[in-house]
Amino acid sequence: MNEISIKPVRLSLLRRYGRVLLPLAGLSILAQGAAWVCGARWDLFFHGIADSMRFLVHILIPEWDAFTDMLQPALTSVFIALVGTVIGTVFSLVFALLAASNIAPAWLRQATRFLLGLERALPEIIILLFLVAAFGLGPFAGVLALAIGSIGMLGKLIADAIEELDPVSIDAIAAIGASRVQVILFGVIQPIIPSIVSFALFRFEYGIRLSVYLGAVGAGGIGLELYRSFTMLDYGRAATALIVTLILVFLSEWVSNFLRKKIKGGRFQ
Amino acid sequence: MIEVSNITKSLPDGRKLLDGISFTVRKGEFVGILGASGAGKTLTLRCLNGLLKPDSGSVVVEDQQGSKWDLCTIGKTRLRDLRRRIGIIFQGYHLVQRLTALDNVLLGRLGQISTIRSLFYGFTDKEREEALTALEKVKIGNLANPRVNRLSGGEMQRVAIARAIFQSPGVLLADEPLSNLDPSNAKIIMRMIQPLAQEMPVIGIFHQPEMTAKYCTRVIAIKKGRIIYDGDPRLTTHQLVEIYGEELRQIENAPVLTADATGEINYVNPEDHERNFY
Repeated sequence: MNEISIKPVRLSLLRRYGRVLLPLAGLSILAQGAAWVCGARWDLFFHGIADSMRFLVHILIPEWDAFTDMLQPALTSVFIALVGTVIGTVFSLVFALLAASNIAPAWLRQATRFLLGLERALPEIIILLFLVAAFGLGPFAGVLALAIGSIGMLGKLIADAIEELDPVSIDAIAAIGASRVQVILFGVIQPIIPSIVSFALFRFEYGIRLSVYLGAVGAGGIGLELYRSFTMLDYGRAATALIVTLILVFLSEWVSNFLRKKIKGGRFQ
Repeated sequence: MIEVSNITKSLPDGRKLLDGISFTVRKGEFVGILGASGAGKTLTLRCLNGLLKPDSGSVVVEDQQGSKWDLCTIGKTRLRDLRRRIGIIFQGYHLVQRLTALDNVLLGRLGQISTIRSLFYGFTDKEREEALTALEKVKIGNLANPRVNRLSGGEMQRVAIARAIFQSPGVLLADEPLSNLDPSNAKIIMRMIQPLAQEMPVIGIFHQPEMTAKYCTRVIAIKKGRIIYDGDPRLTTHQLVEIYGEELRQIENAPVLTADATGEINYVNPEDHERNFY
């Protein structure tokens, strides 16, 4: 009895260590292989750290004279986000109505939901690259990219809000003898206005961050300024652009949070 | 006048929800529909204004010119026209919560104005005045401006009644107008609905036999999709048990509330009365 029971205990100990060590070994082999393929090397890593130390010293000293130059691009970024979100919200409302089961027939709902899902899967940067090809560089392409980019998310959120509406409340408007459009205006859109505004604010906050990096790709604004000064090794100017960007992001987040909390608190309900 | 004849409605599996409901209600009548939950009361009421199409049977109403139409066979546009003639009071919280009481009353004529006009809230001053008069009729003229979600349940229900008055329909329906209301508010609402019956047929769903006994001119009881009683609103205990089931007997001997002829509410011992409204 005893002799037999010793062996399995040893085996299980080995298995216990193996459970940690074997995957670790496999993972490091995989990482090594991947690093070799894409050319990542330890010496480059330490080199980069040493280089970035020198660069960090530069970036810690912002060039305050450039601050006023940044204001206009910053405003451009805000407007790209604002106009893009507003246009996007209007269009997503239409898509949301088509994607809500209590308004649209099942086949239309499925088709619209599929399109919205497809749009969500498409990164904004790819949309922008297409639009830049069509409309040229500049804020207009950025506005359109943000507008199209927000339809997927806002359309789904608003459609879900519509589906959660009390069906009797919608019937109550239809029962008066209202036309289909009137039912949608007063029975569907009217009650979810707070939700729509809240979703749009959230999307605006995200749109600000998005407009910064879309700016670098070709939409203009503070993102372009940031990208340009980095590539021209003008680190002082880059630091100023970075600070303005951070202020922008924090401010938009604060405003959006403040307004959404007010909406939730019933101020605009 | 509204004429319901032999309407039926079945589930896809063949189970009958409405099984040959027929009744006619004329001007001057205030009909209370009673029945246990799931008996088919709301379904019947939804057929009466075309929100639901019965499988067979007809619901005939008159338009302004006096010609008769069957709601079950007419087209969408005509149905919309006729709905303007059929007022319906839902439970108060089905008002548009984000609009003021006055705007909610104005919505009563939504079917009578063009879509473009409604988009810009194009109600005339005269219509606003009339809406305010309707609110004053239900004694909440002072509450015209706050949004309805600031109002109490009883006040919301009054807004719903004001909307129906403003719509000036030919038939008035009410879907459980008293639920979620305390007894004295329920009484106030009933007193407001009752006089409307002098101008149009009124049909309401209620869960309070003591209220229908006091205010209605006629009671229709529905059980399992069939009308099992149609007549005098004052029901006996035996009839109530028929409608609501044997469980009602278990509270039969408890002291109950009933209203006498003057409208005062008294405690009574059910055994003293031949009729009692538990």
